[in-house]
Order: sequence, then structure tokens, then C-alpha cells
Amino acid sequence: MSDIMDLKNDQTLMAISTGDMSWNKTGSWRYMRPLYENKIPPCTVGCPAHEKIPQYFALVKEKKYKEAWETILPDNPMPGVTGRVCYHPCENVCNRGEYDETIAIHNMERFVADQNLDNHIPEYLVSKEKREEKVAIIGSGPAGLSAAYQLVRQGFKVTVFESANEAGGMLRIGIPSYRLPREILDKEIDDIKRLGVEIRAGITIGKDLPLSNLQKNFDAVLIAVGAYKSWGMQIPGEELKGIRSGLDYLKQYNLQEQATTGKNVVVVGGGNTAIDTARSALRMGAEKVTIVYRRSRAEMPAVPEEIEDAKKEGVQFVFLANPIAFHGNGSVQEVELIKMELGEPDKSGRRRPNPVKGSEYRIEADQVLLAIGEVPDLEFTEGQFKLLHDRLNLDNGQMTSQKGIFACGDAANGPIGTVVDAIATGHRAATAIGQYLRNGKVALNGKMESGVPFDTINLDYFVNEPRPKEQQHHPETLKENFEEVNLGITIEDALNEANRCFSCGTCTYCDNCLIFCPDVAIHLDPVKHEYIIDYDYCKGCGVCVHECPRNAMAFEEELKWNK
Amino acid sequence: MSQQLIDIPEVELMGKGHVACPGCGSTVAMRFVLKALGEETMAVIPACCWTIVDGPTPSSVLKIPVMHTAFETAASAASGLKHGLDARGEKNTTVMAWAGDGGTFDIGFQAISGAAERNEDIIYFTYDNEAYMNTGVQRSSATPEGAWTTTTPTKTPKNKPKKDIVEALAAHHIPYIATASIAFPEDLIAKVKKAKEIRGMKFIHIISPCPPGWKSLPNDSIRLARLAVETKIFPLYEVEDGWKYHITHESKGTPVKEYLKAQGRFNHLTDADIENIQKTMDRKWKMLKMKEKLSLEEMEVLD
Ligand SMILES: Cc1cc2nc3c(=O)[nH]c(=O)nc-3n(C[C@H](O)[C@H](O)[C@H](O)COP(=O)(O)OP(=O)(O)OC[C@H]3O[C@@H](n4cnc5c(N)ncnc54)[C@H](O)[C@@H]3O)c2cc1C
Ligand SMILES: Cc1ncc(C[n+]2csc(CCOP(=O)(O)OP(=O)(O)O)c2C)c(N)n1
Ligand code: SF4
Ligand code: SF4
Ligand code: SF4
Ligand code: SF4
Ligand SMILES: [Mg+2]
Repeated sequence: MSDIMDLKNDQTLMAISTGDMSWNKTGSWRYMRPLYENKIPPCTVGCPAHEKIPQYFALVKEKKYKEAWETILPDNPMPGVTGRVCYHPCENVCNRGEYDETIAIHNMERFVADQNLDNHIPEYLVSKEKREEKVAIIGSGPAGLSAAYQLVRQGFKVTVFESANEAGGMLRIGIPSYRLPREILDKEIDDIKRLGVEIRAGITIGKDLPLSNLQKNFDAVLIAVGAYKSWGMQIPGEELKGIRSGLDYLKQYNLQEQATTGKNVVVVGGGNTAIDTARSALRMGAEKVTIVYRRSRAEMPAVPEEIEDAKKEGVQFVFLANPIAFHGNGSVQEVELIKMELGEPDKSGRRRPNPVKGSEYRIEADQVLLAIGEVPDLEFTEGQFKLLHDRLNLDNGQMTSQKGIFACGDAANGPIGTVVDAIATGHRAATAIGQYLRNGKVALNGKMESGVPFDTINLDYFVNEPRPKEQQHHPETLKENFEEVNLGITIEDALNEANRCFSCGTCTYCDNCLIFCPDVAIHLDPVKHEYIIDYDYCKGCGVCVHECPRNAMAFEEELKWNK
Repeated sequence: MSQQLIDIPEVELMGKGHVACPGCGSTVAMRFVLKALGEETMAVIPACCWTIVDGPTPSSVLKIPVMHTAFETAASAASGLKHGLDARGEKNTTVMAWAGDGGTFDIGFQAISGAAERNEDIIYFTYDNEAYMNTGVQRSSATPEGAWTTTTPTKTPKNKPKKDIVEALAAHHIPYIATASIAFPEDLIAKVKKAKEIRGMKFIHIISPCPPGWKSLPNDSIRLARLAVETKIFPLYEVEDGWKYHITHESKGTPVKEYLKAQGRFNHLTDADIENIQKTMDRKWKMLKMKEKLSLEEMEVLD
């Protein structure tokens, strides 16, 4: 020190400091430690396939659409399909919804898929190590396809048996092309086939080939036969000509491009099959289509957007009424309805409809399409399996009551009824089969915990902005017109939406933590592109953690780290 | 990959190892100010927390020359330093005074008033933590009405309003005055850069949360600096030539309660007290808006 204090002739009488303060390691003051810690967002938890939503949004922001697509693919090989037809449970739990409007996640998914129509699933997603074991999959719906894809990725040999002449299940047989253009479906199925999945179409297990044959020739079997058998109504007159299941009707049109359609059609049911049947009948020449549903609009299981679209297209609705008989002379002419009123909530939480005595009345119809639910057709299993509510009963590892035989999708018990559930359970089944074939035991992960809570988002860094509106095309004349109705969102909207997302729990490299640190203790490593906290100086004030807009940091007691 | 929300210069002229309390707002303020001014800057620091924060001889956490002076002399010492540099031909060096509220609103006021009247070419910053913090939280004329300090205990909290230092400086008709908050780094840096380009006396008033003095959580410092602005308690604005008012951020009008409740120094306030503070702030905001409107009208007349 003395040399600094030394007085030279030309210097004033003043102490001069020339050293810095780096010797003063203020990190020793710290009793709380900030850390970088990405967490799972609620949308990822809400999506049954657990897509990495903020992660692919980050790539969209940089216009890296291919990389964004490749971020979705490990969880879902068909984002073009789900981006169009998924009922998007992810959006129901999106944190942004508590602030202004939920992020249009399904539009984003479709946007990303549509930017990649000329690309194919990259080889790097498939394990280089090939395995000898063979797996048979019965059914090529989304469940079977998703499982086949995941098993091929693990290196297994996969053969899919499909009774229809083409793969796709309900995506092809049920969902109309004005909601899911077949080019998109074909493209995404083709991508899966390219990876080496063998699809043997036109083979019905139980008819063309017994299940026992598969058990003999394959190391594992996966049942993914969906739910095709329609419920009847068990009421008088059901055998009249002109009465059939809505699903059969859709199937006939979708596979043969024609199906007899009446002029005055009544559709019975309140789910999406009912809506699709009604909207398809209008396109196939019906002059009037009426949906009859026994509860009220509020209880309809169909998604609101599609009910709206059906209304826009001219579908009529009769709520709180139920058929009790069909009348006609050989062919159906009238539907006899009874009015219903809503009572106490039932098991599903919806209010139970009760008939109102003496309220019977009749409406005219020359065709009746029943869309009141389907169950799996499990005849081919010859009663060898344990069932629960008409579906295959599974253990925690997606295995049926028969060793080595697994099931997924609508045929099995568990989350059912949607495409993304099928994709998710197909993935789980593939993981289970992989474990089973490799080491004879199955141990799947438990349920994903709930995501980053809304109240941990720092709203000071966001402003209100509206959700984009998807463009639609409602043709002037519906007849013969199966063109796609929903047109997706624009590039500008997609970029804006990616920015509107809070990116809950996922660091976006916004630098806030670094900028506000009072102790200049945070740096960005330019090579690794990671933030580094200099614990020699960090005093543990927690400013960085608090000013992180999206809860991508943690704050823990220092004691835990100093053992 | 970076998706910055806040765009500020990368240059870092504050080093590591300073001795400010965890979460000290005045250190963030210093960091931002030096980003705006750059290397060719000299600072004068009178007695205040920053005397200590900077480090003991022979160490200094700042990578620019710093002159430590007596409590009441920041403005006059900075004036002298500027003249000395001018005499040596080093005209490009920015001279800043960096003082607490005590050294500015109270004991240093005579020196500032003099420098302002002479229109000295310096930037005078006051980081306002609203009390004499370095000596243990004694009240200053910047302490807000109703606040606890060790000299205004909760039984008899401060019963005088905070001195309006901006108005006092505006009455000196100096070229540039601004308020700033560390929660608005871009606004703060833009104002400092603007001040650097203006010749003559500049005064910048920065609200500076102090966790021990405000009895607030260290991790709340940026939030409090933001709430001070959004509640209209500390509006962000500029005054040029003593009469041209310009609000640089429209305060949201968040209830003052949110700001007060996060600070232990206001714990004793009743709902009625808070209501009174709310009314005062609403009135002051309205007056400020009127001044802005009037000066805009007047500028149009001049055009
Ligand atoms: C009209 C309609 C519209 C729908 N719309 C939507 C929607 O918009 N969004 C949504 O998420 N969900 C929708 N769903 C539900 C969704 O389609 C199903 O939940 C999903 O397809 C189930 O997938 P899966 O793979 O389990 O079965 P499926 O898709 O039903 O596929 C099963 C496949 O197995 C084949 N198969 C059956 N038995 C055999 C056998 N013995 N041998 C060989 N092959 C056999 C079938 O031919 C079929 O291809 C809709 C359903 C319908 C009926
Ligand atoms: C003439 C004189 N009186 C008293 C002091 C003791 N003193 C040193 S710092 C300080 C308080 C400074 O308060 P403020 O200017 O608000 O800065 P802060 O400490 O709050 O940062 C006091 C009273 C002094 N250094 N000189
Ligand atoms: S704001 Fe973004 S990350 Fe958060 S839940 Fe919604 S989509 Fe997911
Ligand atoms: S802001 Fe800086 S000093 Fe405070 S906890 Fe974070 S890294 Fe540590
Ligand atoms: S503040 Fe920004 S950069 Fe820092 S952790 Fe949070 S998201 Fe990442
Ligand atoms: S007492 Fe307040 S102003 Fe002084 S160093 Fe500590 S936090 Fe900063
Ligand atoms: Mg002070």
C-alpha cells in the first residue's frame, strides 16, 4: 500500500486507489442460492402427448420451422393431423388464458407441420442399433401408427395389420376430409412407413388370420383396433330402411366416395361423430339436417367451435328430446320424440336427462343416422381377455390380461376418445413393449406433475395482445364440397403467437437476470450459450430470480449446497 | 438464440466485489448510468452509502476515476473538476456527481443551487433511497410522508411531505432534469445519454430501493422501483429549460397500496393514511399532466 500513498512532487496530497474490488468475495454473504432451472409448462402437462411447446415456439421465433417440427416429432409423428383435429386440451390449461387469451397452440402445431410438407421424418430420430424382436400391431389408427413409429425408432421390426384397404383408422374412415385433407394424412402416414414400418392392409385379424398366429410368430402383440361397434337404440322401428349408424355412413362415404343420403336427415347424438355426420350429410346433398340431442347445448360433448361451424353451415338442432320410436312403411318416415328435462348431475358430472311424461311428438325424416357412441369390436379375441366397461383392461404397463399382449387407443381402458390420446397411449405402449422385450419387466413413468403455476409468471414483462383468429372457408354451396374449412394462421400470426407465449418455465435467453443483477455476477458463456452465475460474488439477493419473466430459475437455501 | 426484452449497452464499468447490501437499488443504478456514459467519465462521490460501496483505499469497484469528497460538496467539487479538465484541454470527459438524497436534498443543496445557477457543465445524479442510509436510516427531506425511519419512529412517523427536488431544480431553469427508475433501464439509459450530449447543468433523480432502509425484501428491489412509477408516486418525466415537461412513461395507476404494503417502513399506515397518500399522488399526477399539456401548447405557440 505504501507505494500508492507515496508522495511525488507533481501529485496532490491525496490517496489514490488503483486496485479493483475483486479480492472481496461477497459470495460468502449468501444464504440463498439462485440457480437456472427449466420447469415443465402446464401446456406440456395438458397435452396427452406432452409436446415440448415453448421449446418449439422458440424455434418458430427464429423462423427455424424444420427444427421446430423436429422438436415435436419425438412425441408425435403426426402434427399435421393433430394440429387440425385435436381438441387441444393443452390450451385449456395454458397460463396465458388467466391473463388474456390462451395461446393458439393447435394452430401453431398445424403451422409448423404445414411448413414441413416437403420434409420427411429425419433418420437421426431412429436408433442405429437394430433389434431382432418382432412386434405385431393390430389396427393402423393413430394409436397403432404412433406405437409402430416409436417401436421402429427403438430399432424393433414392426408389422401393422389393418382390415381396411388403407391405413389411418378413424382419421381416414371417420373424420371427414373437410376437416382433415387426405394429402396431409397420407403424407404423415407415408413418413412413418418410410422409417421401415410394414403395413399389411386388407387383413382382418380374427377373419383372415387368427390372433394365435400373431402370438406364435411375433415376440409381442399390440391391439389397437379402436372402437367401431355402434350402439343401437333398442327402440321400436329401428329395423326400418333408412336407419343406420352415422359412423357406417361416414365410413362408406370416406372409403367409397358415395353413400345414400336422404333429403330430410335426422342425426341422433351430441358428440363429434354426430356433428361430422350432419355436416357430411349436407355436403352429400341432404336438404335439411337436424341433430337431435337429449340434453342441452351446454352438455354437448362436441367441441364448441365445431358446433358453431355446423350452425353456420345450416345444421338445425333440437335439444332436450330423445327418439322413442321410428315410424314408416318399410322405410323410415317419422321419428317419434319425447321431450326431456335435466335433473341431478350423473357420474360424468353432466345433468341427467329425464323424459317428460306425455310430451311425445313426431318429426319427419327420410333418413336417420345414429351417432350415440361406439365400443370396440373384440370378437377376434374370443373372450380370452379381461374387460372393463367393454374395453380391454390394462395394467400400469399397458399390458392386457395376457402376457406379451398389449393394447392402446380406443380399444383399451384408459384415456380414450381422441386422436391425441391414441397417439399418447400408443407411445406408452411402445415404451412398455420395448422394456418388456429388452428385460422382461415394464416400469412406465407415472403421471406428469402439474406445470409452472400462473402466479409465478412475472406479468410486468407482458402486455395484453389478442389471440389470432383462424381463417375459415365456408363454401357458398356445400354440396359435393369437401374442401378444407379451417385454413390455419398466417406466418405473422404464428410469429406473434410464439412471442405472446409466456414460455412458462423455459428460459428464452432474454438476459433479464443478467441485466438486473446488482452484483454483476451473471455472464453468458458465448460458446456454450449458457448463463453462468459467479458464486464468488453473488450475494443471493434473488433479484435475478424475481425478474425472470417466466420462472426459469430457482432459489434454494445455501445450506443445501454447502454440505 | 437470445431474445432480449431490454436493449441496453453491453459495456460493464462496475466491477465485482462491492460492499452494498444484497439487492441494493443504487448499485443497479450505477451500473446502468455507466453503461450510458461510457469510459470517458469521472465521478465525484460525497459521503453516502456509495462512499463505502465503492471500496476502501486502495480499491475501487468502478472502472472510472472517482473523487471522494465531503458530504455537502458534490456539486461544487464536480464543478471544479470539470473546470480543471477544461483547463487541461480534456473537454470530452463527462463529469458526474453521484450523491444520496441527504447529500442532495439537504446538506448539499446550497452547492447544487450554486452550480445550477452558474449552469456548470456536469451531470448531477441523486440516487434517492429516501433517508440517510449509510448512517443508519435517519430521515431526510426526501423521506416520504408517513414513513418510518430511526428518527421518525412508528409512533411519530414523518409528518412532512417529501421535498419536490425536481421542481426546486426546475426553478433554476437548467437545461435538463429527468427522473428515472432502475426498473426501466432503457428509459434511464436514454435520459443519461441525452444528458451527456447537453452542455450545462443536468440533474437526474433516480429512485433507489434500499432493502434494509425500506424494510423490503432484497429480491423486490426492481419490482418496487417499477411500482413507484406505475403507482404515480414516482412518475418518469423530463423538464427542459425549466419549463418543457415531458412524461416518458404513462404510469398505469396501480393502487399505491401495492407499493406501500411491500415495505416494512409503511407497516403502521392505516387504510385512511393510505387513502390520503393515494389522493395526494393522484393530484400530483394530474398537475404533472397539466404542466406537460401547458408546455406542449406553449411550444406550439413558439414554433
Ligand atoms: C366421426 C369421428 C370424428 C372424430 N373426430 C375427432 C376429432 O376431430 N379429434 C379427435 O381427437 N378425435 C376424433 N375422433 C375420435 C378419434 O378418431 C379416435 O379416438 C381415434 O381415432 C382412436 O384411435 P385408435 O387408433 O385407437 O383407433 P382407430 O382410429 O379407430 O383405428 C383402429 C383401426 O383398427 C382397425 N381394425 C379394427 N379391428 C381390426 C381387426 N380385427 N383386424 C385388423 N384391423 C382392425 C380399424 O380398421 C382401424 O383402422 C373422431 C371419431 C369419429 C368416429
Ligand atoms: C458533514 C457531515 N455530516 C455527517 C456525516 C455523516 N454521514 C455520512 S453519510 C451520511 C448519510 C448520507 O445520506 P444520503 O446522502 O442520503 O446517502 P445514503 O447513505 O442514504 O446513500 C451521513 C449523515 C458526514 N460524513 N459529513
Ligand atoms: S403461455 Fe406458453 S408455455 Fe405457458 S402454458 Fe401457454 S403455451 Fe404453454
Ligand atoms: S441478482 Fe445477482 S447477486 Fe442477486 S441472487 Fe442473482 S446472481 Fe446473485
Ligand atoms: S431472466 Fe430470461 S434469461 Fe434469465 S433465466 Fe429467465 S428467461 Fe432465462
Ligand atoms: S443501506 Fe441501502 S442504499 Fe446503502 S448499500 Fe445498503 S441497500 Fe444500498
Ligand atoms: Mg439516502
